[in-house]
Amino acid sequence: MTVTIAAATAVSTDKDKDPALIRWLIFVRDRGIFVLWALLLIAFSIWASPYFASIDNGLLIANAAALTAIFAAGIAVGIICGALDLSIPGTAALAGCVCGWLITHGTPTGPAIFVALVLGGVVGMINGLISLRGFNPIIVTIGTLSVMSGAAAGIAGGYTISGLDSLVFLGTDRFAGVPAPVWITAALFAVLTVFLTRTRDGIRMMAVGGNAEAVRRSGIHADRYKVLGFVISGFCAALGGIVTTALVTEANPSANVSIIFNALTAVALAGVSLAGGRGSLPRVLVGALILGTISNALTIKGVSPYWATATTGLLLLGSLAVEKWVSTTVSRRLVQNASASVHTGTR
Amino acid sequence: MTATTEPALQLRGVDMHYGYVRALDGIDIEVRQGEVLGLLGDNGAGKSTLLKVMSGAHQPTNGEIRVHGAEQTFGSPADATHAGIQMVYQDLALVDAQDIATNLSLGREILRKGLLGWLGFIDHKAQRRRSTEEMDKLGVRTASMTRPVEMLSGGQRQVVALARGATRVFDEERNGILLLDEPTAALGYEQTQQVQALIRRLADQGVACVLVTHNLPLAMDVCDRITVLNRGRKVADIPAAETENDHLVGWITGARPSMFATEGAS
Repeated sequence: MTVTIAAATAVSTDKDKDPALIRWLIFVRDRGIFVLWALLLIAFSIWASPYFASIDNGLLIANAAALTAIFAAGIAVGIICGALDLSIPGTAALAGCVCGWLITHGTPTGPAIFVALVLGGVVGMINGLISLRGFNPIIVTIGTLSVMSGAAAGIAGGYTISGLDSLVFLGTDRFAGVPAPVWITAALFAVLTVFLTRTRDGIRMMAVGGNAEAVRRSGIHADRYKVLGFVISGFCAALGGIVTTALVTEANPSANVSIIFNALTAVALAGVSLAGGRGSLPRVLVGALILGTISNALTIKGVSPYWATATTGLLLLGSLAVEKWVSTTVSRRLVQNASASVHTGTR
Repeated sequence: MTATTEPALQLRGVDMHYGYVRALDGIDIEVRQGEVLGLLGDNGAGKSTLLKVMSGAHQPTNGEIRVHGAEQTFGSPADATHAGIQMVYQDLALVDAQDIATNLSLGREILRKGLLGWLGFIDHKAQRRRSTEEMDKLGVRTASMTRPVEMLSGGQRQVVALARGATRVFDEERNGILLLDEPTAALGYEQTQQVQALIRRLADQGVACVLVTHNLPLAMDVCDRITVLNRGRKVADIPAAETENDHLVGWITGARPSMFATEGAS
């Protein structure tokens, strides 16, 4: 293996590039969901022509997917960082109610939203700090889920807080023809994606999710990054709660647990492993968009929405099969001994 | 045994007691720069304990540790790391989902210049370039630097783990000390050869290596000197060229009497 690289362009013109098959498998794993979405769009454009393939319908899909996507971002960051945060519906309900309560009690809209978002982060931090004591994060967040939804109901006095018209700029208003939730989702995903892939803290956070011990042995305080994952997750939950509130201009204190399953479906479609440490937010966004696309197209064709749910489930199972196939193929190609299989590794 | 200067790492009269159990009993050990020291022994002979003492994970009951002639007390692995001792763990300690460059750079990332750097943005290109240089310097080119570790074979992963330790050894000061715990335990023949060559190359660049292994042929091939432990005592310390398999087996099992009539002669 001689060194035949020009120093400056060493990276891009690597002589020892990965074999074609490996590169293709990595492509399927990392970009497969984009291809899947493109195929779905083409198929639906033909099947549900002419109503499906229009800009208005595109915005409709994006708007419908926005909320799922926001919650999915929270779930995904939690999982990537190594913990499934189930308290998201509770945090969302609490944030919505606190925001609504503050507004109805005379606080200006801006500060009310700010307080609710910070509260989401604080809830995340509490989740994180409790989990660090060695408790299972799933159980911890189930506990905080109950605490939050109880607190939300307490604040709202058991009823929905209505008349929050000052929030419509986050809900049904459109800017440059695009609904506000779509803008919010786009901004959230852009920021989080850059954070996770380009910044030191983001990369360390992903590394902590993958192998906290390795990070610790590098002399990094792994625990901080674990808490940070919960904080971001809580922030996303609060943001989702506020947008939910803004869409209907009333804050509902009951935690809607089904948002977790929608969000988890999007996250799982995106191939974010529950084992942690891997996943990409653009894929999660596309996962949410796929859910929206399917239900939109089936609605246009007058198919009962139940079939949309069923289709999504089948798609999810199919994506699991592809994932499995990719990982076994890679291990068969690359791994000549038992110690290093693709997804279990030696963690 | 080529160098004549003082040892890179020297342990004198190290005892380690767990209650009434003497895990280590008056161990004298030294490893010089550019030397590979093999540490052999049966299960429970004290190899791992000794390695833990060297890496700062355990504090010895008695005895002193000298690094480049200066006495050191390790309160934690971080202290040992600071003194220039790096441990390559058996379980690799790599982040599977991240690529090689990120793994090599973890904890010593290169930030971008200017505002973006202040915001914590990483210069991926510079990291890849540095990692490529480091791997080239070690003479190992496993795969493209952007390949996730999970898509590497067992041997390649071990090479990356070794390189990770090695680059940090060079980071601390020129001639560090690398502790290797069963680096070839999970590898096939060819990969063992690869790792073996890498250890040799590291030694040639002036790194002092301590290699704990059960693999006698590997020890005979790669080590300059071999030390055998038996029930917490040093029973042999001999240049690899001057011994043979059967003798080593004898020392390991205890069938062959200790080289040292009284403990501690070195």
